[in-house]
Amino acid sequence: MFLQQLITGISIGGIYALLATGYSLIYSLLDFSNWAHGEFAMLGAYVAIVFANMVGVPFLIAAVLGVCGAALISFFCEKVVYRHIRSTGAPNMFLMIGAMGMSTIFQQVANLVFTGQYRSFKFKLPVNTIEIAGAYLGVLDLISLVLTAVILVFLMYLINKTKFGLNVRAIACNAYAARVLGVRVDRSIASVFLLAGSLAGVAGILYGMKYNVFPTMGNIGLKAFVASVVGGLGSVPGAIVGSLLLGVLETFVSGYVSSSLRDFFSFALLIVLLLVKPSGLFGVDVQDKA
Amino acid sequence: MKKALCLTLALVMIFALAVSGMAYAEEDTIKIGYIGDLSQGTALWGNAGKFGAMEAIEEINAAGGVLGGKKLELVPMDGKGDSADSVNALRKLITDNGIVAEIGTNFSSCNIPMASVADELKVPIIGTAASNELVTIDEQGKLHPYSFRMCFLDAYIGTVVGTYATKDLGFTKGALFTINGDTNSEAVGQFIEDAFLANGGELVAKEQCQAGDREFRAQLAKIKRADPEVIFVVMNDYAMNATFAKQAREMDIKCMLLGHDGWDSDQLAEEAQGALDGCQFVSRIGFAMPEAREFGEKIVAKYGGTLETECLFGRDGVYWIADAIERAGSADPTAIRDALEATDVYNGLIGQLVMNAETHNPVMACEVFEFQTNADGTHVKVPVKTVEAVTD
Repeated sequence: MFLQQLITGISIGGIYALLATGYSLIYSLLDFSNWAHGEFAMLGAYVAIVFANMVGVPFLIAAVLGVCGAALISFFCEKVVYRHIRSTGAPNMFLMIGAMGMSTIFQQVANLVFTGQYRSFKFKLPVNTIEIAGAYLGVLDLISLVLTAVILVFLMYLINKTKFGLNVRAIACNAYAARVLGVRVDRSIASVFLLAGSLAGVAGILYGMKYNVFPTMGNIGLKAFVASVVGGLGSVPGAIVGSLLLGVLETFVSGYVSSSLRDFFSFALLIVLLLVKPSGLFGVDVQDKA
Repeated sequence: MKKALCLTLALVMIFALAVSGMAYAEEDTIKIGYIGDLSQGTALWGNAGKFGAMEAIEEINAAGGVLGGKKLELVPMDGKGDSADSVNALRKLITDNGIVAEIGTNFSSCNIPMASVADELKVPIIGTAASNELVTIDEQGKLHPYSFRMCFLDAYIGTVVGTYATKDLGFTKGALFTINGDTNSEAVGQFIEDAFLANGGELVAKEQCQAGDREFRAQLAKIKRADPEVIFVVMNDYAMNATFAKQAREMDIKCMLLGHDGWDSDQLAEEAQGALDGCQFVSRIGFAMPEAREFGEKIVAKYGGTLETECLFGRDGVYWIADAIERAGSADPTAIRDALEATDVYNGLIGQLVMNAETHNPVMACEVFEFQTNADGTHVKVPVKTVEAVTD
């Protein structure tokens, strides 16, 4: 039973991680929590479902279009809303309020266009399972875990080993100094939104395949946000570890204590961590963090 | 100046005449309200009920209407499956739209507060699948005179499911899965447990999830260890039920999953992708009757969507109100209420409702449905057994 709970927890944590890294990336650059991030996942899933179910394109192409859709929506949000707020010199709180507004607008728009009804992809993997030492893992979970792991490894490579990553890290340390040294700050920020949006798109499509697509599915972003705070806001490795930790904790609480207390434990962990180590497990700076 | 004043006065008079004429014309139309979730997660049911009611009104009007030629008109309003929105919708329908009776919702959480509003404004309301006792009788045991329902109580369906599992299926080791804080789920679950234990069964696992959850594997791991012969899954959300079934099968849990009327959705069979094959649920007779199926298929062909029992509730609600209007000989809301209360037996497409004037709660026979996968790969539910009504 322990191994089963562990596998389930990691599987849930994997989805959180795809979203949490997006929160962290954006926070590291702009020092605000992008509350609309969960909705990028939801919109990406809807884009994929429109192409797959209504237009009739093959599922894999629809999924790629869904990821691109989420990335573009995220990109345009930055370009149209966040950049404008930043250019006025407004406090970061304004960015967060703008994000909350967009989150609500996106949910309402999805509700109007698609209604609140659950949607599911016509393409379905068979309900098959793989046994590992007495624990069972669904085929979709396995695919989801492998895909998540590959994407996160690639993300770490991108951040730590490429010029793009260097620019991002430079802006995260000191945006003004980075600009003086020739880093194109706005362009890098836009690229990060594109990247975070595409990660959210993958999360949304995987979530939609495992469960369903519905307008409020982006609320899972709240858990991803908790995971990114636990891991240390602004730290990508921290977001990944925090997500896996949260996924496993939730599963163990549901399995060994009570599912009614699952969220109690999740948020208690958050509060305890904020009291004991406010910067999170991997964070380095807590000044002015949400 | 005088000319302008005369012209204005003339226009005002013409407008007043037109409005009074419209009001006169409207007297020949009797308005019936409908409240359901028309836009949120359970809109599938809310809209099915609305379409059923619309179709019934069309049929009645085509056959000459009621009270010697008066037409019926449906005024639907979105209650979003939310109690506050549903209460506001009912007030608006009564005070602004002048409805004489209302159908819906299918949620006890909405109809319990709506019952007080109906009593206050003296307009009868008929809950469809709202099965909590408090929908028609308040916490002090006093009848809500203007609140009726067309479904069985949580206690009734829970007892039928628990008894059926032991007496008909012969199960003795069961597990119960409910939603924490969900009035219907917890109440039905409790009655299933009581009936199961009373008939010699043993509950080896009791687990819960939270509303809207999509991950059940942590609880399923515990259930699997208890090795039950049957899992009672008491959730009303077809997406949650389908996910539960798929995750159970993925974890190699092969026992029967047994459900209540909350499973009664065609979407469930499709979404579960065969994970529910051989599993059963107990619900109202409805689509087990050919005429009900024919009506449902007509609704699907005309309005789209899937075959949902809620369309039968909408249809039966309208016919029951039309019947009450005819018997009362008036479209006065209080006269309609009296006629609804005086109903002994109502034969609708949901099944035969044996009404109780003291509680406004009907009893009816139930049908057991089983999920199967056809040779062409389609997933369906088929009626397998009728459980007779218990009227004592």
